[in-house]
Amino acid sequence: MLTEAPVNLLQSYQSGLSSYDEVLDLRGNVKPHWNALFATLEKLGLDELKSRNQEIIGKLRENGVTYNVYGSPDGMNRPWQLDPIPFLIEQKEWNQIAKGLQQRAVLLDLMLKDLYGPQKLVRDGIIPAELVFDNTGFFRPCIDIKIPGSNQLTLFAADMARGPDGQMWIVDNRTQAPSGSGYTLENRVVMSKLLPELADGMYVSKLAPYFNSLQSTISRLADKSKDAPNIVYLTPGPSNEAYFEHAYLASYLGYTLAQGDDLLVRNGSVWLKSIDGLQKVDVILRRIDDDWCDPLELREDSRLGVPGLLQAIRMGNVQVLNAPGSSVLENHAFLAFMENISQYFLGEKLIMPSVATWWCGHRKELSYVLEHLDELIIKKGNRKTKFRSIYGRLLSFQEKEEVKRMLLKNPHEFIAQQEVSLSTTPSLINGNIEPRYAALRAFMVADENGYYVMQGGLTRSSPVKDRFVISNQYGGLSKDTWIVSNKTEEVQEKVSLPSPASVNKHVSLPSRSAENLFWVGRYCERTMAVIKFMNITINVLNLDRNFGGSAKQEHIKVLLQSVTHLSATYPGFLDEEVDHFRNPYQEIIDLISNTNRPGSIASNIGAFLNAVGAVRNQWDLETWRIVDLIDNGFHEIRNASSMNSNNIQKTLDGLFNNMFTFLGVIAESMPRDNSFLLLETGKLIERILSRISVIQSNFGVVNSQAVENELIEATLINHHSLVNYRQIYKSHLSVEAMLDMVLLEKALPYSLVYMLDELKSNLGKLPTTTRGDRLNEAERSVLKAVTAVKLANVAELSKTGRNSERHELFSLLSEVSRLISSVSISLTNMYFSHTIMHHSFFEPADYDTDEI
Amino acid sequence: MKYKLVHKTKYEYAQAVNNYHSLLCLMPRTLPNQSCRNFNIQITPQPSQIVERTDFYGNKTHYFSLHAPHKELTVLTTALVERNVEDMGALFMPSEISCAAARQRQLGDRSLKIALLEYILPSPMVKWGQDITAFASDCFQEDMPLYDCVINLCRKIYTEFDFVPDFTTVHTPIEEVLAAKKGVCQDFSHLAIACIRSFGFAARYVSGYLETLPPRGRPKLQGSDASHAWISVFIPDYGWCDFDPTNNVVPGERHIVTAWGRDYSDVPPLKGIIFSYGKHTLTVEVDVIPV
Repeated sequence: MLTEAPVNLLQSYQSGLSSYDEVLDLRGNVKPHWNALFATLEKLGLDELKSRNQEIIGKLRENGVTYNVYGSPDGMNRPWQLDPIPFLIEQKEWNQIAKGLQQRAVLLDLMLKDLYGPQKLVRDGIIPAELVFDNTGFFRPCIDIKIPGSNQLTLFAADMARGPDGQMWIVDNRTQAPSGSGYTLENRVVMSKLLPELADGMYVSKLAPYFNSLQSTISRLADKSKDAPNIVYLTPGPSNEAYFEHAYLASYLGYTLAQGDDLLVRNGSVWLKSIDGLQKVDVILRRIDDDWCDPLELREDSRLGVPGLLQAIRMGNVQVLNAPGSSVLENHAFLAFMENISQYFLGEKLIMPSVATWWCGHRKELSYVLEHLDELIIKKGNRKTKFRSIYGRLLSFQEKEEVKRMLLKNPHEFIAQQEVSLSTTPSLINGNIEPRYAALRAFMVADENGYYVMQGGLTRSSPVKDRFVISNQYGGLSKDTWIVSNKTEEVQEKVSLPSPASVNKHVSLPSRSAENLFWVGRYCERTMAVIKFMNITINVLNLDRNFGGSAKQEHIKVLLQSVTHLSATYPGFLDEEVDHFRNPYQEIIDLISNTNRPGSIASNIGAFLNAVGAVRNQWDLETWRIVDLIDNGFHEIRNASSMNSNNIQKTLDGLFNNMFTFLGVIAESMPRDNSFLLLETGKLIERILSRISVIQSNFGVVNSQAVENELIEATLINHHSLVNYRQIYKSHLSVEAMLDMVLLEKALPYSLVYMLDELKSNLGKLPTTTRGDRLNEAERSVLKAVTAVKLANVAELSKTGRNSERHELFSLLSEVSRLISSVSISLTNMYFSHTIMHHSFFEPADYDTDEI
Repeated sequence: MKYKLVHKTKYEYAQAVNNYHSLLCLMPRTLPNQSCRNFNIQITPQPSQIVERTDFYGNKTHYFSLHAPHKELTVLTTALVERNVEDMGALFMPSEISCAAARQRQLGDRSLKIALLEYILPSPMVKWGQDITAFASDCFQEDMPLYDCVINLCRKIYTEFDFVPDFTTVHTPIEEVLAAKKGVCQDFSHLAIACIRSFGFAARYVSGYLETLPPRGRPKLQGSDASHAWISVFIPDYGWCDFDPTNNVVPGERHIVTAWGRDYSDVPPLKGIIFSYGKHTLTVEVDVIPV
């Protein structure tokens, strides 16, 4: 017997529509491809869609896809939000849209050449002179910055929305360092992995050709005489909101990710400071805004740029995309003149209209704006003015009068725009499919034939009903954008992963990345060393508390003091004033959870996560997944004070295991290049120093046999050697036998000689900065340390001298410790030395953010 | 009048500087009434290259960079400059056009408006509020000649302000100068420009040199001259006309023009980006020697 059909998703969606929607055509019929998508959704079922959505959220999190939000309470990174329901545009319609976009790109390119050249637009009265001379994006030093080739505007992104008549409108232009293409790509990758069946029966155009086109445009600009041009992706750094995208695109495109002070201008060329020395840079794809590019000629307080960069461009020794100065086109006021500009340059009408815009500097326009304030949005022409758009209809009578006064006072500073009504599109909201306002960013790149339009784009939809909140800074959903057709008319394939990018073979590791990798190794090991020994100590403590008596507490005191030495959290358990030993847990919990205390486990993990984030282009997905788990543990551990000791240990164990896995994944998967060597080197240095510290503080002073037995056991566990020891010596515990094992046993990865030998071999593989086969400073120090340890006589070391000190042991270990610490300094001088940029007058300024 | 111009700038650093990028704007302009010959730049330590460029305003700039550690840097420029200017004095008035008429002309003529606009709008270091307008309001009358108004303004600044070196820095806002009533030529020029622009007229910043005369009967001391700054105002029917609010004179043959722009930030004589820690000291010696 047939039961009533389940609620039809499409019907129920349609019944919730209150304005024009992407699903319907102008006559109110459902567009065929939306019909198909809803049929697939129906088949999938809402519950399955919800569970896939959870997987998407998990996947994005794991992949570390974030959009940093300044001043958000829970730290900086916000997971990127992707709606599982894509935005569909039919191929034929898209082809029309693409024509409009291409025309717009051509116009903007002509404008860019004119504004930094003959300025005919101004002289012939097509645009008012204010649009040039009162435009904060017009940079006078850029008048002679030119890119070879026919186009000055290489990359261009346009924000579009659909008006009530079904026509797409251009709402905004991004012309200096357009953002969002990397998020677009990641959206597609995640969607095609987790919801492949959504595209059933449709052909979705690929994104990869856009990136291929970008790569070939860039390689055309690179030095032809070199077979492996050096291309750099210039980012403002990890604190920028779109840093994920910078790292993601750099590694997808195969370019070196660098920050301003990784680069240096010398003799009119740009060089990358790498651990192989200076490498000449041919092309820079920049993600820093115009005014920050060169502190010598643009904003002098910029620490993100490269002094002398403009001169290097002028001399033709480097190409920068987009060329500095292109922000001149981002002034909102140009939208008011685009129709005239199109007529002037091309003798054509605009194929795709701009949102209706009025520049208030003209008397007629100003009076129109004053009369129609209710329907308009007031903005400043100049983008970077920290001015919030004013919605006329939201103003009280009094506020309106104030706005009018403001407009009349400086009319040429303002523009007014028609408040665009947007189309709605199906979105998954709280488990239901609901209409939400959406807008679309399209991406273009100049190629040999004009402008190539990405077959897709970044759709943002509003998380709230009946209101459009577009900015990711304030929260918002993104959507994959599908250009769909029924059959492969043009050569197209089903949704698939983008083809692997052609690679830049000339990869040198920037000094900054090198330093970060080194510290990833050090912080990882430092954290693990403290956790490991902390756990050993807590176990002993628990054993004593639950089963032991008060008679043999001396070893606990030694262990606790070793914890303080190891973590360098003085005075800690060495504090004579406080009796920590009655209740050591308070100090232990602080050592675990206090992020503000240098040396604590929490602060070390924080430093580790920062270092990992700063070189995120180095990690693959497996690694990110582990980093995400460590990040979770980090959040748990900070609340250690509210946990019982059992849970604390569980969390510590979890963290330790995850960090071990992190090292394991790296050991098993990371290419054996300089990145790997530096990370390993950092790890080994820290491992040696931490093991030495524990041996020194446990055995520097002689204790009673019973106490020493406890310490021997703890030390052996700390060196992962207890099992091995028992196999050889059974239950006989002696300091001499233990020292022989942890110092000299070549087959044990945690013995001092093993670690020192490894360190020595690592250093030998790093790029040489010395002549021929001469040892460098770092290698010499390690050789000295290895030799000293190998020549040591364990029997002598175990002996007790005056004041019950093991003088020989203590001084040997101190010397090794000193030598290995000096290795770190030598490496810093050899590979990482950054010079600090200094300005005669420096006031740090906020970096204006480019919202996606 | 012919001059030999010598301008020596010396930086001494506490810590060695490894990398240095610099942009000089020191070459006197060639103008109908000024010629510049034998311009020479000598930089120690010697850079591998000095690159000349003509900037947006037609000024000549020179770029160089240094990449070897150094604790001392000297930039020495020399030139032979000839000025053919009648020392006009305040008696001669080039144009009697009134403020009202001048404003009308600027509005009506598009090419004039385009040429003047950036000198009428606020610029990076010249912004104004009511205080500035109020200060200048008794100098500007709609029916008076614009030229006279600017003369009045310069006289007012000259009489009400004290020339006090080291009170201001290159970044002291005009409002502070106005409140303290003291500063140096750069401050007075910025103040005058702000006043003139606040009434809707075009004014630009001129950077250059001034030959100073020794006290009567005394020999002229070496290095006693100075780089100087004054203003230029656009007077319809005449063109750009220079005024020196610091000395309350109309610049003549003792003023040598190096560069002009909207304000100081367009034409700093010497700017540089240093890669180093630590402090530095700066000494400047200028000689404008009649030949």
